[in-house]
Amino acid sequence: MTELLVKNACVIDPLRGINGETMDIAIRDGKIVEEVSDAAEVIDARGMLTLPGGVDSHTHICGTKVNFGRYMSPEDMRAGRTPRRGAMHATSGYSVPTTYGNSYRYSVMGYTTLLEGAMAPLEARHTHEEFTYTPLQDTMANTLFDGNWAILEAIRDGDVKRVAAIIAWTLKAVKGFGVKLTNPGGTEAWQWGKNVSCIRDPVPYFEVTPAEIIRSIVEANELLHLPHSVHLHCNNLGTPGNYSCTLGSFGLIPDLNEKRQTLYATHVQFHAYGGSEWKDFCSKSEPIARFVDMRPQIVMDMGQVMFGRTTTMTADGPMEFNLYRLHHEKWSNHDVELETGSGIIPVIYRRKNLVNSIMWAIGLELALLTKSPWQCLLSTDNPNGAPFVKYPEIIGLLMSKRYRDAEFATVHPDTESRVPLPAIERELDWHEIAVMTRAGAARALGIQDLGKGHLAPGADADVAIYPLKIDEVDPSAEYQKVIDAFSRTEYTIKRGRVVARRGECLVHGSNATLWVAPKVSDGYDMGKDPDFIEKFDRYYTVRMSNYPVQEEYVTRNRRIETEAEL
Amino acid sequence: MKVTLAMKPAAKWFIPIEAESIVPKNFLSGTDLRVWRGNRELRLDEVFSVSVEGDADRAEDVEVVLSGDTFRLKRVGEYLDAGKITVLGGIGMHCGNFMSGGTIEIHGNADGWLGREMAGGTIVCRGDAADYCASGYRGGRKGMKGGTVEVFGRAGDFLAESLAGGTVIVHGDAGDMTGAEMRGGTLVVHGDCSRPAANMKDGSCYVYGTARGMIPTFKKIGTVQHDGRTLIRFSGDLANRGKGNLFVKGYEYLD
Repeated sequence: MTELLVKNACVIDPLRGINGETMDIAIRDGKIVEEVSDAAEVIDARGMLTLPGGVDSHTHICGTKVNFGRYMSPEDMRAGRTPRRGAMHATSGYSVPTTYGNSYRYSVMGYTTLLEGAMAPLEARHTHEEFTYTPLQDTMANTLFDGNWAILEAIRDGDVKRVAAIIAWTLKAVKGFGVKLTNPGGTEAWQWGKNVSCIRDPVPYFEVTPAEIIRSIVEANELLHLPHSVHLHCNNLGTPGNYSCTLGSFGLIPDLNEKRQTLYATHVQFHAYGGSEWKDFCSKSEPIARFVDMRPQIVMDMGQVMFGRTTTMTADGPMEFNLYRLHHEKWSNHDVELETGSGIIPVIYRRKNLVNSIMWAIGLELALLTKSPWQCLLSTDNPNGAPFVKYPEIIGLLMSKRYRDAEFATVHPDTESRVPLPAIERELDWHEIAVMTRAGAARALGIQDLGKGHLAPGADADVAIYPLKIDEVDPSAEYQKVIDAFSRTEYTIKRGRVVARRGECLVHGSNATLWVAPKVSDGYDMGKDPDFIEKFDRYYTVRMSNYPVQEEYVTRNRRIETEAEL
Repeated sequence: MKVTLAMKPAAKWFIPIEAESIVPKNFLSGTDLRVWRGNRELRLDEVFSVSVEGDADRAEDVEVVLSGDTFRLKRVGEYLDAGKITVLGGIGMHCGNFMSGGTIEIHGNADGWLGREMAGGTIVCRGDAADYCASGYRGGRKGMKGGTVEVFGRAGDFLAESLAGGTVIVHGDAGDMTGAEMRGGTLVVHGDCSRPAANMKDGSCYVYGTARGMIPTFKKIGTVQHDGRTLIRFSGDLANRGKGNLFVKGYEYLD
C-alpha cells in the first residue's frame, strides 16, 4: 500500500464544482481517497494551483502517420535534443519528436491522458506499440471509419444497425476507443483521384453523401453506447469559405445523448474560413461560435495555429495534396486499403503571411466567442496547428487581452480588417482554462466515470500542481508568469506517483490504454457474418484472423465494455 | 599565434576522433581542450604533440596547423568564425560545418561533408573532396548559404546539394547529382559531372566539361560566351518550377 497526501493545494476541479478551494488530496494505491493514514508521504503544495491531470482530447503522437512524419523530416530531429538523464531516455525532435520526447514534454506540462486523434484500423499495431513507449500518459486511439467500404455499403443500404455492428467488431479488433471521421467520404473519393466539396457530394461508386455518412455513424455510435461521441474532422478543411460546410455538418446533428455531446468537432479553426478564394480569405469564427452556443450537442476543439515550424498530418489525403500544390515542398501520401488514407507535409506558419495570421486569430476567437468553455476545448491538433509545447502560450493568450494585443501588433497588418479578434475583450479565468484542458476534455471523451479529469474519491490519482498562486498573479498583466507555470509543473502525479518534478521526469512509468469492446448479440457479430468475411478475405491483404490486435500489444489495458442495442 | 598539432601515432588509429573543439578562437585561452575518441574523452595532448608559437588576443591572428594522420579527425573547424586552419595531410568528415568566417586550407584530401551548411569564409582543398562537399544536411531545405569552397582535385557525389548561396568551384570532375536541389549561389565544375542541377530552383551551375545523364526537364535557351568558353545555356528545373541557369560545355542525355 502506498499513500500520498498533497497538503494545502489550491484546487480547481470543475467536474465537482470546486473553484479555488484550499484543501488536501489523499491518495492511496493510485486512487484518490477520502483520507490516508499518518504514515503517508506528504507533499506540501503551499497554496499552489492544483488541477486534475491534463487531458488532451485531440493530438497526434503515435502511429504510422506520426512515424512517417519522422521519416520525412530528419531535420526535425536536430531540434529538441536532450541527453539521457536519470530515468529519462534521450529524446529528439520538435514537431514530431520521439515517443519519449512526447511523453516527457506532456508530463512536464501536467498532462496525464492523451487521445491519439486518428488511427487507421489496419495499422493499429503500430499505434499500440508506440503507446507502450509513451509511458507517462494513459492513451486512447480514435479509430478511422470515414472510408470503410463495408460501412459505406451498409449506409447505402440504409442499415444503421449493420453500421454499428461493423464499428463494434472493428473497435474490438483493433482496440480502439472512439469513432473518428476524417473528411467523411473525401478520403475514399481521393482513392479515385477526387474529393467531395461538401456534405451533399456523392462518393464515387458507393453513391452515398458525407451527410448520410455522418448521420448514420452518429446514430450507430449511440446505438453502441460508446463513451465518446463521433469525432468529426469536417469536409473541406482549409479552403476559403468552408465555414458554411461546417455549419451544414453541425446542423445534421440531433441531440441524442444526455451525458455528453453527440458530436465532437475537431480542430474547428481549420473549418471556420470565409471568403471565396485566398485573396478575400477571412475569419468566420462568429457564426460558428453562435451556432455552437445554441447546440449543447456539439463540442469542438480549437485547432489553434501558432507561428513557427511544424508538420501537418491527417487522414485527409486530398487536403494534403492541395497543401502540397500550395507549398511545393515534401509531401507524403498514403492509402490504407479498404479504410482510409493519409497525407503529411511539413509547414512553417509565418507572421508575415496574411492567411497564417488570420488562422492564428481564428483559433483564439473560437475559444473566446464560444460562451461555454465546456464546448470549446484547447488544442492545436498537435502537431498540425503547432506542437503541443505551445499550449502554455495559448493559455496566456486566452487569459490576457494585453498579450493578445502585443502579439497582434506583430502579425500581418491587413489581418485587422479580416478578423474580429482585436474587438474581443474577454479574458478567460482559471476555472475556464481548467475546463478547456482537463474537465471538459474528460467529459467530452466520456471518461469522467473512469476516474479521469477530476479529483473525486475513487478517481485516478492524476494531479498537476503548478508553481503559481492564483490570488497573487494577475494573468491579464503577468501573462509570462502564467506561461512559465503551465510550461513546467511543480509536481505531476500520475496514478499516485510523482512522475515529473520541475521539468524532470522521475520514473519510467507504464501507460494504460483505454479501449472499448461493445457487447452485441450474436446476430450482429461481424466475425460470423458470411458476407463480411467474404469481402474481407477478397479485398484485404491480411487474413481476417490476423487482423485483430493481440493482447500483448496493450501492456496495461483497460477494457471498457458497453451494452449495445443490437 | 601559431598552434601546431602533430598527430601522435595511436594503436587504434582507425577509431574516428570528434574534434569540434579545434577552432582557432578556443586556443586564445590555452590548449586545455578535449576531444572524443569513440566513447572516451581525451585531452588534446593525449592525441597530439601540441606546440604554440607567439600569442594573440584575437581569433583572426590564430593559425592552427594540423599534421600527421588526420584523416580520421572529424568536425575540425565546426562553427569557425575567424582565424585559419591549415591541414597538411587529409582531413576527416564534416570539416568546416556551419563555418561563418575564417579560412581552412587542406593540402591533402577531404572526406565527406566538407563545409556542410557553411555560411561564410573560405575553404581550399588541394586534393579531392568526397561526397556531399559544400552541401546541406538530411532533410534540410537550405545547404551552404555563403562563402567559398574551392577544390583543386575531384569532388564526389551530391556536390553542393541544396546550395543556397556562395560559390563552389571544383577544378576536376564531380560525381553524380552535382548541385541537386540548388536554390541559389554559383557552382562551377571544370571537369565532367553527372546529372547536374537536378530539381534546381534557382542559382547558376556551370559545367565546363560534359554533363552526362543530363536531366530532360531543362529547357535549352541557346549558347553564351562565358570566361572565354562557349557554353550551352539551359533553364530549369521545370519539374520544380525552377528558374535556375545551367551552363554546360557538352551534354548527353541518358539513352
